[in-house]
Amino acid sequence: MASESSPSSQGGHHFLLRRLHSLAGILPVGVFLVVHLTVNSTINFGGEAFQTQVDRIHDLEPFLLPVEIVGIFLPLLFHAVLGFQIWFSGRPNVGAYKYGGNLRYTFQRVTGGVAFVFILYHLWHMHWLGESLGGARFDPHDAAATAALAMKESLFGVPLNLLYAVGVLACVYHLANGLWTSLITWGITVGPSSQRTSGYVCAVFGVVLGIVGLSSVRGFKTYEGAEVTVQHTDAEQHGDTEQHGDAGQHGDAGHVSASQTSSQDLQRED
Amino acid sequence: MSKKFKVAIKRQDDPNGASRWERFEIENEKGMNITTALQRIAASPVTIDGKQSTPVAYDACCLEEVCGACSMLVNGSVRQACTALANTLLENKPDEITLEPMSKFPVVRDLVVDRSKMFNSLSRVHAWVPVDGYSDRGAGPRISQHQQEDSYPLTTCMTCGCCVESCPQFHPESDFIGPAAISQAVLFNEHPIGSFEADKRLEILTGNGGIADCGNAQNCVKVCPKNIPLTRSIAKAGRSATVFAIKQFFEK
Repeated sequence: MASESSPSSQGGHHFLLRRLHSLAGILPVGVFLVVHLTVNSTINFGGEAFQTQVDRIHDLEPFLLPVEIVGIFLPLLFHAVLGFQIWFSGRPNVGAYKYGGNLRYTFQRVTGGVAFVFILYHLWHMHWLGESLGGARFDPHDAAATAALAMKESLFGVPLNLLYAVGVLACVYHLANGLWTSLITWGITVGPSSQRTSGYVCAVFGVVLGIVGLSSVRGFKTYEGAEVTVQHTDAEQHGDTEQHGDAGQHGDAGHVSASQTSSQDLQRED
Repeated sequence: MSKKFKVAIKRQDDPNGASRWERFEIENEKGMNITTALQRIAASPVTIDGKQSTPVAYDACCLEEVCGACSMLVNGSVRQACTALANTLLENKPDEITLEPMSKFPVVRDLVVDRSKMFNSLSRVHAWVPVDGYSDRGAGPRISQHQQEDSYPLTTCMTCGCCVESCPQFHPESDFIGPAAISQAVLFNEHPIGSFEADKRLEILTGNGGIADCGNAQNCVKVCPKNIPLTRSIAKAGRSATVFAIKQFFEK
């Protein structure tokens, strides 16, 4: 019998791990995505509105990092590791069976992979954890200007806002479709009719969150506080931001630049 | 429509042999299905190149889509050969009809595969009503009309293999029992006497290769020749598994 051992088995915890994977994708990771994109979209109401939201999050200091690790990074890593295992445990066959559900199944795996790569890049690019690796463009004390500046960069000649748009949409699709399948997995939507209805609800949720996410990317890209050309070096960029941006409202003289790596931790304390 | 049509068949002489394609041309007949086409090829197994070949091995039995024996890949997707009509297939793809054995099971010869894995899955989930033959327990409980109507479609499963063949989560290296076995577990868990073993089945469903391996691609319900509501069974099993796992956790 083929039941005894297989590459996909995980001892006696197979079911539990899969359900925790489903749960982690919604709570906390999915909830975080909704909050994160919503907060970011406040850039469309101006730099100060966005700064207010960022300050509210950073008020959690000194507990912010523990909250991030326990509430986001670990569940996300768990979800990703198991997600890749689930991906590789299947043999996608959209070529032979071109049904909507099958396309969604395959797309769920692809967007999960895209989201994973994007999130790693995004962490390096924006989070202070990426500082020692030359990333960490975002400064919570000068949120709008630094984020806007970061969104004007490009990677391998591709404008970064386009890559962010793809990454954000991958995350949003993965969450919306994951929400739909989780309702089936947990046995909440059982019949075809309820699954169709929940499908529409999840689709609307996805479209709305997608618009919110794209509006954030666009908001940073077009933010007027940072009318700088991208060709400059990092140090020059940050110098320019101080002139044009709203850095003045904080009066931080020793404003962060990628070269001043050691000063950022000090800044985060104040 | 031309009188003759071409059939390309993926052939394999023995379980460990290499596969090869052979092309035949046969005379179209009114209402011809794939099983008849294979009979005509058997009557004169000469390929398009004029090479003398051998009759193609295939499974067939009832010829009315109730036994499940003749599942194969027709034009790349799984279905019963007996209800695959040549004219309908040629309307969609006039050049030729391709026939292959199902890809998720070991090939015995040509289009014949070994579906043991499916029957093993049925035995894993105890897909039967346990009856003790030593004592008379009297009449069993009555089943409501409503329950009968819910259960009847599930009883029409013929273990043909279409659902698992189309399932991206089911393949030779996977331990997944597949939609058919899950649906049968649900059928017998909802049966008043079958439900005596409900926990046993749920233990299997919440184990390796159980319900957690479903990826919700929902191909199964699309390809099922018996239109069995397989995704409903899967979601029902998911619901029972959720309740069962929580109960197990707190009652242990």
